[in-house]
Formats: sequence, structure tokens, C-alpha cells
Amino acid sequence: MDTLLEASGVSVTFDGFRAINNLTIQFAEAELRAIIGPNGAGKTTFMDIVTGKTRPDEGYVIWGDKSISLIGMSESQIAQEGIGRKFQKPTVFEAQTVRKNIAMALQNPRGPFDVLFYKKTKANGARIEEIAEEIGLTDSLTRIAGELSHGQKQWLEIGMLLAQNPRLLLVDEPAAGMTVEEREKTTDILRRAAKTRAVVVVEHDMEFVRRLDCKVTVLHEGSVLAEGSLDHVTSNQTVIDVYLGRSHA
Amino acid sequence: MRKSFIMQTPSVLWFLAALALFTLSVTILSEFSGVDIISTSFVKTLGKTLCLCLIAVAMDVVWGYCGILSLGHFAFFGIGGYAIGMWLMYARTEGIVLTNMANQTIPATPQEISDAIGNQIFGVVGSSDFPLIWAFADSLTLQLLMVVLIPGLLALVFGWLAFRSRVTGVYLSILTQAMTLALSLYLFQNDSGLRGNNGLSGLQNIPGFETTSQATISIAFFWASALALALGYVFFAWVVSGKMGSVVAGIRDNEARVRFLGYHVEGYKLFIFTMTAVVAAIAGALYYPQAGIINPGEIAPIASIYLAVWVAIGGRGRLYGAVIGAAFVSLLSSWFTGGGAPAINLGFYTIQWTDWWLVLLGLSFVAVTLFFPKGIAGLFDYLVRK
Repeated sequence: MDTLLEASGVSVTFDGFRAINNLTIQFAEAELRAIIGPNGAGKTTFMDIVTGKTRPDEGYVIWGDKSISLIGMSESQIAQEGIGRKFQKPTVFEAQTVRKNIAMALQNPRGPFDVLFYKKTKANGARIEEIAEEIGLTDSLTRIAGELSHGQKQWLEIGMLLAQNPRLLLVDEPAAGMTVEEREKTTDILRRAAKTRAVVVVEHDMEFVRRLDCKVTVLHEGSVLAEGSLDHVTSNQTVIDVYLGRSHA
Repeated sequence: MRKSFIMQTPSVLWFLAALALFTLSVTILSEFSGVDIISTSFVKTLGKTLCLCLIAVAMDVVWGYCGILSLGHFAFFGIGGYAIGMWLMYARTEGIVLTNMANQTIPATPQEISDAIGNQIFGVVGSSDFPLIWAFADSLTLQLLMVVLIPGLLALVFGWLAFRSRVTGVYLSILTQAMTLALSLYLFQNDSGLRGNNGLSGLQNIPGFETTSQATISIAFFWASALALALGYVFFAWVVSGKMGSVVAGIRDNEARVRFLGYHVEGYKLFIFTMTAVVAAIAGALYYPQAGIINPGEIAPIASIYLAVWVAIGGRGRLYGAVIGAAFVSLLSSWFTGGGAPAINLGFYTIQWTDWWLVLLGLSFVAVTLFFPKGIAGLFDYLVRK
């Protein structure tokens, strides 16, 4: 499998606290990956670095076939390169309709003048329907996003990421606050998405990770502690000590 | 495409109809038509109000739609006024000087004419030399170009510096306020080249139309202001409709999300900030010939704060709200401060509205913000629902 994203020797320090410590991690094309780890393990900071929000002190992040360095690129440039990010809290444009939310995310030119003279096309309309179907919001396209339930907002945000057509999707705790059925549906959406692109899920919930049934990376104190199948990492004694031991204590 | 935009936003049609009706009624009732129910000075007040409505629409786009609380848009308004005022003053003074010199036995040299004009204009600040910024003052075309170019460039440079450093929220407001304050203080200086605190005056006299009555001129400017407001309104209504409106409102509600969707947020903010600054300047260029005088006090920060108050009271995030707010509050303000409102005698204290109007305005602002966040325009929602 080809490597899609490679982070190597990445470190970042906030006020003397090493949030990420010599982290090296790789994602392949069309891979589903879960990142777990206790609070403060550096999961969100890692996403911040990949998406351009935080600049690391050391190390490099290499992207795609052309091996571009993502460090120093702006958030919007990285997003245009094909990296989509879902925030921990559902972040959609609550004042606008579901259709407008998805339309804004569709893969189209992003310059102010392109947008000013943008015209609705059949192809875009069809793509919006397709995405709405995928996330189960076909009947809600004309609704205001603010009226949606928590789970629906989460799906809408995932749908917006899909509309961007990214090659790598970073998803931060998608199952938080969801009911059991909602979780199942979310798992299905993510697994389907991972067939055509890399999907990296940061999650606390072990049950959810088990359901994803994918390779797991355990982060601890800003570096990779273990990597492999869920059974493999959960049988690792160090992992049990620092993570599972603590959470079950 | 044009049609679908108008069809999608019926409020634009309603607004244009109301504006046309208003313009025609005022014209018919004016001194110009002979009916003379509305005095020439009141026609000017109404024309100025239309200009204030135009800058309020611009303010609504930048604040209500894009979420940038600019407290400096009156700076652009003022620059527009100064730019047109320079030509008005120069051309009129030139006319007077040439008439005076026509009787001389020896024809005056160009240098003498230039000195005489300079003396007339800058004598009041103890100078007679033309500062460099007056280089184009003899050309109406160039000065009209300056009306849009200078504020446009200022907004572009200022916005670029502010937005690229990711200055947002209250910090950006303070920065814009500092900009307008700095400009105002600079213009107050006698050697600023724009006559210090005297400002530019006599702007109501339009060169080339010396024999035309003010009744006619006032109606001409009134119509020009109405046209500018109509065009500005339709233009901004088009801008905030469709996808641009989605992105801009997205920036207001969640900047980070828009950024991670791949939009260059700073570029959009700069686009909106600059465009609204240019429209504000056009409004100013139409306002000051009707006011007759512009001085640095006009661009003091308080003016831009009033602008925000109008838009908030009228109703943010919808263009007709801004128009209603600007018209309603500014007319009410001149009524109260102009001594139109009767003083209220409480026995132990008499409320003089010239002193208490600001208190009333401040209280209404607080009340609107707390209890009617949608402003006056929010009332339309009730009407539509019923």
C-alpha cells in the first residue's frame, strides 16, 4: 500500500509541556485507522498539526504522491490538498439549511470571485442528493441545520467532509454523545468512506473502536506506544498500564 | 440568473418599489416642483439620509453578514466626501478668481492664478501653496476616481494587515476605531493639506451650475442618492444571496469550519471589507455636497459607532433592516437634537432633548440588543407569519 501521509519525528511544546514528542506515524491510501489514548496523549494536537492549525517545533509531515511538506501551509491550502477534518463538537453552519451546508463543502473552486459568480449545476445538485443519502439526511435537506439532533449534526459534518472529496479524513470523537443506533450508523458511514480514502478516527470509546474493526494506534504522552489490531494492542502490558489500567481503575 | 435572484429575494422588489415611491413623492412635494410642502433644506436632509442608508447597508454586509464589527467605516465615508470636496472647492474658487482677474489690464499668468486660488483656499490655515494631495483637484474625473481608489486602497492595505494576523472580534473593532481616530486627528492638523479643523466648505455650490437654484440642485442630488442606494442595495443583495452569502455567513458563525473546508477566510474578509469601504466612500461623496461642509469631526470614531447603532436597531443581517435603522434613527436624531422635540417639564427638572437624546439612544440600543436582537426589521417576521 502506498503511503498517503507520513509524519516523522514531530515534536511540539506548549509552555514547556511536550504535547507531541518525536511522533512518527503513517497512513496508507484507503485505510481505516483508529487512534486511541488517554487525555493529553496528543491526539487533537496531532490533528492540529496535520491540518495546519499548529506548527510543530521539529519534524516533518509529508503528504501524497508528490511528497509535499504540509508544514507552513495554511489550513485552507491543506484542506484543498485533500485533508478533511471533523471537530469534536459537531460544527455545522446552524443558521443555514442542510443543503447549503453541503453545497458549501462541495469540491469546487474556492476563490471569492469563483464563489461570487457560482451557478448551481445539475451535477452539483446530484452530488448533494448523493451525500444526503449517504448520511441519511435526504428528508432534511431543506431544514435549518440548527434544528437537527446532535447525531444528525455529526452526520451532516461528516457529509460535508465527504462533499470535499478528501483523500484523508480526520475524525475527532464522532461517537461522543450518540445513542447505540446512531453509533452503528456512524460506524457504517465511516467504514464505507474508508473504502475509497483514508479515514483516521480519534476515539475514547473502546466499544466504538472495536466496531470499526481496524488497525489501532495507541498514543501516550505525545508518541506512539503501540500499533496493530485492537486485540494486539489491548494485550500489550504497557498499554494496559498507562491507558486501560487507568481507565478501568 | 438575474431573474432568479430577484425572484428568490422578493424583499428587493419591495424595497425598490418603496424607494421609487418615496423619491417621487418627495419630488412632487418639493420646492422644485412648485408645491413647496417640503422645503429645500429638508429635501437635502432626506437626500443625506439616503446616503446614510447606503453606508448602513454596507455596514450591514460587513457586520451583519460577515461578522466584522468595523468601527471605522465612516472614515471611508469621510474620505469620499473629502475627495469630491477638493474638486468642488477648487473648481468654484478657480471660477471666482478668474472672474475677479478678468478685469485686470494685464492678463494674469497661470502662476498668479494658481497662487490666488491657493490663497483663497488655504489662507485660513496660513498657507497659499497647494499640497501634493491636491494635484488632481482640477479634474473632476480624476477626483471621482480618487473617491473610490483612496478608500479602496486604504481598506485593502488595512484589511490585509489586520486579517492576515488573524485579528478578530473586539480587537479588530478597536483597530478600526484607531484607524478612524488617527485619520481624524491627522486631518485636524492645519498642515494636513485639507484645511485642518475648517474642513472643506461651500460644497453645496456646484461649479458650472452657479445659476441653478438650490431647489433644483437639491432634487438632483436627492435623485442621485436614491439611485446610488437602489444600485448599492441590489448589488449587495446579490452578493449576499447564493453561495457567497453562505460562505460569508459561515465565516460569521464559524470561521474555523470555513477555513477547514478549504476557503481562504482572510481573502473573503478582505473582499467584503474593501467592497463595503468603497460603497461607503461613494455614499460620502454624495452626502457632503448636500451637507455643504465636511470637517475632520465627521470622521471621529463616534460617527462609526452611530452607524453600528443604526444597523443594530434596524436589524442586523437583513439589508432593509439597515436602511430602516439608518433612516429612522438619523431622522429622529436630527429631530431631537434640532430642538424639534418638545422639552418635558417634570416640575423639579426639565428634560431638554438636546442633552438627553443621547441617553435615550443609548438606552434604546441596550434595549434592542437585549430584547429585540433582530431589531425593527424583526417586526416584519411577525407580519409575514400572520
